Amino acid sequence: MNYFSFYKGGKELYCLIFMGIISCISPIYAKKNTCLSSSLFQQHAIHGAVTDGTSPLPGVTISVKNKLNSAVISDYNGQYSITASPSDTLIVSFIGFKTALITVKGRTLLNIILQYDTTVLQEVRVNAGYYSVKESERTGSIARITSKEIENQPVTNVMATMQGRMAGVNITQRTGIPGGSFDIKIRGQNSIRADGNSPLYIIDGVPYSSDIISSSLTATAFPSGVNPLNNINPDNIESIEVLKDADATSIYGSRGANGVVLITTKKGKKGKTSFNLLASTGFGNVTKLPKLMNTEQYIKMRKQAFINDGLTEYGPYDYDVNGTWDQNRYTDWQKELLGRTSQTSDFQGTVNGGSENTQFLISGNFHRETTVFPGEFFYKRGGGHINLNHHSDDNKFKISFSGSYNVQDNNQPSFDFTNEARYLAPNAPAVYTSDGQLNWENSTWENPLRNLESKYESKTNDLLANTLISYEIWKDLTIKSSFGFTSLDTKETRIIPSTMADPAYEATSDDSAIFLNDTKRSSWIIEPQINWSKNLGAGKIDILAGATFQSQKTERINLSGIGFTSNSLIYNIAAAKNIRIYTDDETLYKYQAFFGRLNYNWKQRYIVNLTGRRDGSSRFGPRNQFANFGAAGIAWIFSKETFLENNRWLSYGKIRSSYGITGSDQIGDYMFLDTYTTSGKIYNGVTGVQPTRLFNRDFGWETNKKIELALELGFLHDRIYVTGAIYKNRSSNQLVGIPLPATTGFTSLQSNLDAVVENTGLELTLRTVNISGKSFNWSTNLNLTFAKNKLVDFPSLQTSTYSQQYRIGQPLNINLLYNFKGVNPQTGIYEFEDLNDDGRITFPDDRQAVVDLNPKYYGGIQNQISYKNLNLDFLFQFSKQKNRSYPVSGAGQMLNQIDRLTDSWMQPGDNSFHQIYTTGYNNDALNADSLYSQSTGAITDASFIRLKNISLTYDLPLSLKGLKCKIMLQGQNLLTFTKYKDGDPEFISYGYLPPLKVINTGIQLTF
Amino acid sequence: MKTTYFIIPIIFYLLIISLVSSCQSFVEVDLPKSQLTTESVFEDYNTAEAALTNIYTSIRDKGILTGGQLGISNQLGNYADEITCVDNPSKASYNFYRNSLLPTNTYVTGYWNASYNQIYAANLVIQGTKSSKNLTVQQKNQLEGEALFIRALLHFYLTNIFGDIPYATQTDYKQNSIISKTSVDQVYRLVVTDLQHASLLLRSKDDDSARVQPSVSAAQALLSRVYLYLKAYPEASNSASAVLNQSSEYKLENVSNVFLISSSETIWRLQSELTGQNTADGAFFIFTSIPPPSVSLDSQLVGSFNSADLRKTNWIKSVTKGSQTYFHSYKYKEKDFTAPSKEYAVVLRLAEQYLIRAEARAYQGDLIGAKEDLNKIRNRAGLNNTTAVTQQEILDAIHLERRWELFTEYGHRFFDLKRSGKLDSSLNGIKPGWNSSDALFPLPQTELTANPNLRPQNTGY
Repeated sequence: MNYFSFYKGGKELYCLIFMGIISCISPIYAKKNTCLSSSLFQQHAIHGAVTDGTSPLPGVTISVKNKLNSAVISDYNGQYSITASPSDTLIVSFIGFKTALITVKGRTLLNIILQYDTTVLQEVRVNAGYYSVKESERTGSIARITSKEIENQPVTNVMATMQGRMAGVNITQRTGIPGGSFDIKIRGQNSIRADGNSPLYIIDGVPYSSDIISSSLTATAFPSGVNPLNNINPDNIESIEVLKDADATSIYGSRGANGVVLITTKKGKKGKTSFNLLASTGFGNVTKLPKLMNTEQYIKMRKQAFINDGLTEYGPYDYDVNGTWDQNRYTDWQKELLGRTSQTSDFQGTVNGGSENTQFLISGNFHRETTVFPGEFFYKRGGGHINLNHHSDDNKFKISFSGSYNVQDNNQPSFDFTNEARYLAPNAPAVYTSDGQLNWENSTWENPLRNLESKYESKTNDLLANTLISYEIWKDLTIKSSFGFTSLDTKETRIIPSTMADPAYEATSDDSAIFLNDTKRSSWIIEPQINWSKNLGAGKIDILAGATFQSQKTERINLSGIGFTSNSLIYNIAAAKNIRIYTDDETLYKYQAFFGRLNYNWKQRYIVNLTGRRDGSSRFGPRNQFANFGAAGIAWIFSKETFLENNRWLSYGKIRSSYGITGSDQIGDYMFLDTYTTSGKIYNGVTGVQPTRLFNRDFGWETNKKIELALELGFLHDRIYVTGAIYKNRSSNQLVGIPLPATTGFTSLQSNLDAVVENTGLELTLRTVNISGKSFNWSTNLNLTFAKNKLVDFPSLQTSTYSQQYRIGQPLNINLLYNFKGVNPQTGIYEFEDLNDDGRITFPDDRQAVVDLNPKYYGGIQNQISYKNLNLDFLFQFSKQKNRSYPVSGAGQMLNQIDRLTDSWMQPGDNSFHQIYTTGYNNDALNADSLYSQSTGAITDASFIRLKNISLTYDLPLSLKGLKCKIMLQGQNLLTFTKYKDGDPEFISYGYLPPLKVINTGIQLTF
Repeated sequence: MKTTYFIIPIIFYLLIISLVSSCQSFVEVDLPKSQLTTESVFEDYNTAEAALTNIYTSIRDKGILTGGQLGISNQLGNYADEITCVDNPSKASYNFYRNSLLPTNTYVTGYWNASYNQIYAANLVIQGTKSSKNLTVQQKNQLEGEALFIRALLHFYLTNIFGDIPYATQTDYKQNSIISKTSVDQVYRLVVTDLQHASLLLRSKDDDSARVQPSVSAAQALLSRVYLYLKAYPEASNSASAVLNQSSEYKLENVSNVFLISSSETIWRLQSELTGQNTADGAFFIFTSIPPPSVSLDSQLVGSFNSADLRKTNWIKSVTKGSQTYFHSYKYKEKDFTAPSKEYAVVLRLAEQYLIRAEARAYQGDLIGAKEDLNKIRNRAGLNNTTAVTQQEILDAIHLERRWELFTEYGHRFFDLKRSGKLDSSLNGIKPGWNSSDALFPLPQTELTANPNLRPQNTGY
């Protein structure tokens, strides 16, 4: 059928066949590596302790030089014992320390003191996806955090663990409700389509779709829906690597344009079986709320509004001022509705150990947290994680398996109380009557607690498994393949029972409704690879070739039921009188690729890294399914040059650069097909079908060209380590809905537009070891990003439907606004600049002021201080940005306002920031109000510095052998310094629960 | 043990080869189960019918003929002198009520976009039916007839609202995106052609008498209106007669029963979506507490009725609190769900045909026949025979009668004022925002920017 896809991938196929033939016959030629017994000399036991001079070092590897399978690991008191002959040499190695070679010289007691190695950072192997690379030798731009940073944070979402810790990665939390989503931009927004900017997530080699799994019918409390990334338990993560530049991302081809997030879970380690138990509990509150008017201020505003409007009588519905409600009553609605303390508890257990050949890790965890809303709501997550590794005695065959299963149960109100808490009159009645019923106060208000009746629940099961098998078929030649599988099932319900309504409306269970969403997503991936690695003279060559076959299926059913005999049947949709099916769909996404890498490293000084990928995706029409991507990266480690080798102050220096092309296929499935879709609506007994779209068979990939230049320097044995990178990414061939006149039947056509979006930036990181002593250590990490986003080109922007959204030369994330001039002292009404001088403020001519809402710069500064058994780690996150201020429209109406509106215009001559109050009769004021919300007046500085995370741990000095106990105190979002007065400065859109500040205490036992 | 590992590369190899060879078309995927290719839709009568009936659903739920706040029953009622809107810019009717529409008005753009989307769907049905191999001639006729009816109906409303408009008969977006305007006269000619063609193809009556899909009578009823607007009086009269003569099928009902599902006055109506659901107009117009949430019936219209008029007592309801009284249209009496549904939105009904023929007859000099038709409507409303004598008196009486009979029904009032040249004289005093150029809506700004062939903008915008 699709012969040409095969044809185009022909070369790769021949390669595979060739590879297969070789691999089949190779074992016949493989040399037999017989292990000779090495007990030619007399053996004796050596024991002792490994320390850093003061405290014992557990986990240190001690092995006998030139002797296979001799390694042992020091226990939790640093004790070890090993068998060796008197003339042997011991190799003692431990990450973060210089490897020591100690000759036994007949001794049986050997206490070893290891020296800290500050240059060890260079030796860390960084995961680059299909391969790993030594930190010092990498040519690409990769940011990394490890379990050390992750474990310090009392958060449930993997995104939260990355906030403020990576240069070039900007993450914003959308809501404080557990289960909510985050906005992530790696080096800025590349695609004009807002939903085409997600990075590619890969967990242990398996791509993990971050497409929303919730439905807008059910997950009404979550801005932008529920993200499946919540399924990942941060405690299981060993490291997160973010690939940013072309060199690192091109091997991911069509999916690398927006960066790649690689998540590696924890692995079993050889050694004595160890148990690790962790229990923690904490509480959380809303970080920051805006200060609203109290009753006195509010009533004063309301009464003034009536005076301003020339009204002498309060209307029959003005309950707050006409005497119906108590005008002395005061409720802080934010405190009432958002002011509870959320409680969290966490349990985690890990068993870990193994022999030289086989290692395992098994862990289980449970997390529970309640909400800050009134009512009994909770979020629960539990799961397990398994890792098994095995290799054959000759180390030729290796197999590893990682699997995790997580279950989430999220019970929340289906409406976020935040908006209502802000707008309710402060003298509104009590929520409950004296007998504990919802108080409707004679139908004079909508009791906010009615929303407690409208419940949202989601249950999600997520399985992720991956097996990696490799075999060294020849010397230096390894074949391997990964087999991955994911399965996710989420069921959501949202109910709207009649009990939500004021009984005066006489709503019955006939009006009750339930909405259901059942989304299942499963995928499999197979990635066979061949790897050849060879030392050639002074250089070393690494070649990798591989293929990807991936298939992902998403099934979704959305339905609603309305009208029940009784509200107690509301969860049984079979009992509904009217059932409507909105969606019943199954979509398939298939993906095929061939990729390769060629790396040449000459004398560990000059490194060239070439990567490429040929991708095919089912998301494109028959002629456009395949495309090529590739990149070249080079690095020069000049500190290894002879003229610098003996330099005392410069310990490391590297210049690297890369250029390449990546792509994006985030456009949804089947967009190229000419089809009809069921509309789900029945007419005259027939369920309708409607034309799905105007179809275009010919659209192709979005391409993203990336260029980067970076400098990495280490001074004084890397005690000062600084990196700087500048990058420029250009996204073109933008896949957008090209606006069409509606006479075509639709208003847009999915197509490639010659628009170009450019992201440029400068990323700086600095790590300093300020003090490195025997008992006191202090180090600091800083990351800082200056980023700029620009729409470089957009053909006929002026005549497109985007004409009032974008400006050429400006970022995508701009607002076009009226220019706010202040309040007219005579009329008391907001004034704006009349750009076209027509005497009126009109759209679009006068709404042309550009405000950039991208951060100018952002970053984080982390300090790690340890003194003996005490460790303190804290991170400040900062961002220089603008955002929308608190919406102030409707001042004078029955809506509470932010307290600074007490300073509104009262009489001619007043110079105030805010305009005249009106009860809604002053049309000019109402009009100006709505213009104000689209004006520069509504934008304010929302820069902040936040104590994102603080963690204090103390290792109890126990005398018990083999037992270690650590107590922890952790805080998240504890302090926020900002000029932003209107609540928490971290948000994407207004009116959702801000992030919580959390304090957590815990205890960890290891034995 | 170790030697067994050599099996692994073999397994590996077999696996890869089988994967690659079985997946020559690996990245080709089948259709999702909720989608059908356009071609296959029209090879099966059931799916072809589904493609057609979905257009009625769409017409009911969006665009010009939708019910409730956004349909023209309300918006043109506000635009003319039938409905008063709460004075608040946040209301969807505010700019209609003030006659202050701008080319960027969302609701105006909505009319345009929804109509052409529906026309596109109709053209797709026409095209698909024609090229279908499996449908019978009878099935093809019915599908094409209904689609032609829809196409004519929507273009008729569009041209009355926007003036010169493109008449879309193709589905190719490349053509449709540069399509030019057709003059009003030419649009009318095409509407007539489509309707004549449709009446040859359509079924003589509904199989199940639900009247939710147009029959020949629906095409003739609309044709008679089109001829009336064209001042082609003999044709208007004939087409109306063609409907009126089917007296076994269509009868005038008691005033109180006109809009019920059981009404035999209905020629074509739009079925509600859910079992027990009634009309969007009922849900929107009816209010129980005052001040009304959005709109109320204009008190001058209410005051113009004869106090004996059954339509005043049956089709209008007042809500009073203290000294304040507001009125609402009460043609549709159900605001909420009932079991089962009691009312559907009636688009074409017999009373209009009497009034069309009365007017056509009056213009042709058949004054007796005209009065006879007019009195049918008056008597049904509990009123005496008309006292009009001269042709002009009779025409004036018919004009007034239309106002009382057809208020808040799909903009009849506005279109009547417009075709009789009375917009300015009737609205100038009572609508402060009225300008002569308001006779046409502005063309949507997005259209003019996307397709320069649609320029210039209508005058006054």
